[in-house]
Amino acid sequence: MATRLTVNGEPVEREIDPRRSLSDFLREDLGLTGTHVGCEHGVCGACTVLVDGESARACLLLAVQCEGAAVTTIEGLTPAEGLSPLQEAFRACHGLQCGFCTPGMIVLAHELLALNPAPTTDEIREALAANLCMCTGYVMIVRAVARAAAAARA
Amino acid sequence: MTAGGWVGRAVPVKEDARLVAGRGRFLDDLAPGRLLHAAMLRSPHAHARIVSIDVSAAAALPGVAAVLTGAEAAARSRPIRPLIPTAVPVNDWCLAVDRARYAGEPVVAVAAVDRATAEDAVDLIRVEWEPLPAAVDAEAGARGEAPLLYPDLGTNVLWHDTLTYGDVDGGFARADGVLEERFEFSRYASTPLETFGCIAAWDAGTGGYTFWTNDQRPGLTLAILAESLGVPQARLQLTCPDIGGGFGNKRRPAYLLICALLARRAGRPVKFVEDRRESLAALMQAAGGVMDLALAYRADGTLLALAVRDVTDEGKNLISPAQHNLIKLGNIANGYRIPAVRYAAWSVLTNTCPSGANRGIGKPFMCFAIERAMALLARRLGMDPVELRLRNYVAGSDMPYATPTGATYDSGDYPATLRAALERFDYAGRRGEQARARAAGRLLGIGIATSVEPAGTNLASYEIITGRRAASGSAEAAMVRVEPDGRVRAALGDPPSGQGYETVVAQIVADELGLSPDEVDVARGFDSATTPWLYLSGNYSNKFSVTDTGAVLGAARRVRDKLLRIAAHRLEADAADLELRDGAVAVRGVPSRALTLRELARTAYADVLGLPPGEEPGLEARHAHQNPLARPMDASRRVPSQLVFANAAHCCLVEVDPATGGVKILAYVVVHDCGRELNPLIVEGMVHGSTAHGIGAALLEAFRYDASGQLLTSTFMDYLKPTALDVPDIDVGRLEHPSPFTPLGAKGVGEGGAIPGPAAVANAVEDALARWGVTVRALPITPEQVWRWMAAAR
Repeated sequence: MATRLTVNGEPVEREIDPRRSLSDFLREDLGLTGTHVGCEHGVCGACTVLVDGESARACLLLAVQCEGAAVTTIEGLTPAEGLSPLQEAFRACHGLQCGFCTPGMIVLAHELLALNPAPTTDEIREALAANLCMCTGYVMIVRAVARAAAAARA
Repeated sequence: MTAGGWVGRAVPVKEDARLVAGRGRFLDDLAPGRLLHAAMLRSPHAHARIVSIDVSAAAALPGVAAVLTGAEAAARSRPIRPLIPTAVPVNDWCLAVDRARYAGEPVVAVAAVDRATAEDAVDLIRVEWEPLPAAVDAEAGARGEAPLLYPDLGTNVLWHDTLTYGDVDGGFARADGVLEERFEFSRYASTPLETFGCIAAWDAGTGGYTFWTNDQRPGLTLAILAESLGVPQARLQLTCPDIGGGFGNKRRPAYLLICALLARRAGRPVKFVEDRRESLAALMQAAGGVMDLALAYRADGTLLALAVRDVTDEGKNLISPAQHNLIKLGNIANGYRIPAVRYAAWSVLTNTCPSGANRGIGKPFMCFAIERAMALLARRLGMDPVELRLRNYVAGSDMPYATPTGATYDSGDYPATLRAALERFDYAGRRGEQARARAAGRLLGIGIATSVEPAGTNLASYEIITGRRAASGSAEAAMVRVEPDGRVRAALGDPPSGQGYETVVAQIVADELGLSPDEVDVARGFDSATTPWLYLSGNYSNKFSVTDTGAVLGAARRVRDKLLRIAAHRLEADAADLELRDGAVAVRGVPSRALTLRELARTAYADVLGLPPGEEPGLEARHAHQNPLARPMDASRRVPSQLVFANAAHCCLVEVDPATGGVKILAYVVVHDCGRELNPLIVEGMVHGSTAHGIGAALLEAFRYDASGQLLTSTFMDYLKPTALDVPDIDVGRLEHPSPFTPLGAKGVGEGGAIPGPAAVANAVEDALARWGVTVRALPITPEQVWRWMAAAR
């Protein structure tokens, strides 16, 4: 099925098998392997991307559903040089261990801070509860998001 | 700039820089050319005879390159040899042959141009099944009353024995009382977010294979692959990329064998990556079990003897049975001075997912039983549980302390750990808060659990079962090399899965070579062709501090010594007068007389006539370290099954909602002592994460099977993991009693809170429900369970 969408600001026009998930399309057809696949049933959030600015599970979307949409992945949130302030905060706080959930967490946190630049700790926890991390117990992820929010306000 | 003293500092984690940008390279990110993708037909039955298999339609589907049945796998490979030989030899191949023994067991594998086509082909396979009665109750199996998985064996019991250490009967005879209780432990798993996966490629020219996998234990896996494929190890290469979490779960040599056989048949590389259902139902679950515990005590609370009867539900685990039993000898007495211990073990097959290594293997259950018993005994004696523990701890002045089962508690001050935790938790204040809340009708509970955290497995402990020594000890290998351009590179036989080894190894090497960690590159993952490794190599048993540090340190010191010898020769100075700092070797006090690492590397690799007479060219050293505490089993069957012991105290405050039965953790304090902390930032993260695993096991996670052996919790919608709303802001304090028996004084920290966490939460919930006289005997404590307790009491 001929599909046109925008991925990380670049127009993409492809013939896509209608059953191909957005996550498989991003990873295998476009080589954007920063988006990870953890459960393929919409619970873990490792595959979180932004579709027209809102977080979405790339494993639950078909790529052809994104006709005309703007998709942003972790690659699109990473500057050409260095790291984004949110990524720097994750690094400074060691808000990760194995790093498999991290791109999804950062996309999710990016959306949170866009909607709510000064979240409380409870609000951060509520937002992050959309995604699973098996390594960190979330404590340092929460710290990282709070640090990024504070830095943005400073 | 170099300041030295990098070990012990909270150095930012090197690997984080790539991982936060999505630039890690995980198994599923790899795609060799002409790659095929595998899918499996899995048994829908827990136990069934395979009458016939018809793969003709699947093989004919366009895009399908190879199909492999169990019978074909059996003809083309040897069975996977069990770590513990069975009484009668029975064969276990990479695919089910003739009979499937758990729901989800792979039966036929298909390789196709993409995963979707491979799954389409699987749907076209026709299997005629003859369902058989399923064995799902390990205790029935122990009694000989369950259907047999392997009729040739004549039993489902893979190991049963009773081990007695010290005067157990005398202890019970002298006792003023005996606490007897039965505890159950559900199956659960740490479920790394990245599932297990592998790629196999066959080289028609050499007959060898190349593997890429997120396997945590490549040394052992390479041995299995070589033996099963009948290929010399020299023609196998195995590489681990970044590994997305492990916790013991990331191992399944059978999948590597399946991909190898498919790759050979298709003449193209084959990848298999589990989907989440396959991972939950068929990879590896912590063994469940039932434990009967009897604790003999004096009226003042002094413990005299312990007797444990432990029935382990192995599932269909023929390959590594009894590990959940054996490993409990490491913490059977926990931190207490219990002079006599009896341990009766049953390792029992059932028609469920194979059990396997999962953060702490068996020790969380052992700690749960002991720490629950301590809470119940305190209640019985009318003592504060703190006082009861303080009465029985091994004291700091007793270190090193020989445990009844043959281990050595190397260092630590267990009473001090608990006191520090109580202070941090404000125990007295919290008791007051609890009393006020209770008066207001709220259900608050305080739970305490303390633990020893063993690290490093001495494989000689299997001699208890087999009566002979095969693998033994605990060891790891590493390499340090100054490259020809003067830059330093290190590699380790232990592929990390989130523990930040690239950073900690760099810290260790930096200190030895006078560099900063940024100037040391540590190889990602593992590569059998370039990384030094042993059969014992791998990311398991909490062993980094016990063996890996020594391997890195030894290799770095060899390179350092060589740098000093070359520099002494070239500077015409005595090596004793030289120092390594800021990337150069200089005559102490005469910084102008110096040679940089780059200049020394040039001598070592290129201008080799400038080397001291007899000095070998090159600047690379390998070293393997084995921990000195490992010993063979003695005549009394005592053996240090584990080697080095950290310890911790957990205190938590919970509130039970009487309307829903839900449990909320209001406060959680951990004080732990893992000896010298090599990187406190990494250590703190490990404490949080392991404690979260303990909380999950306590409140949420269970693999539940019905009577026919069907898994009822096979997605993350019914197998529940803790989210950021379930795990509290865990407050961590620390003591540091270095181990005298590890090269840097460090101890294990990877299993950490997974061991006492379940007991701490259970003790708190029981305390919250004290007015109903509830006794927590099993986990997880779901809202339904709490509601049932409250309904029964009303």
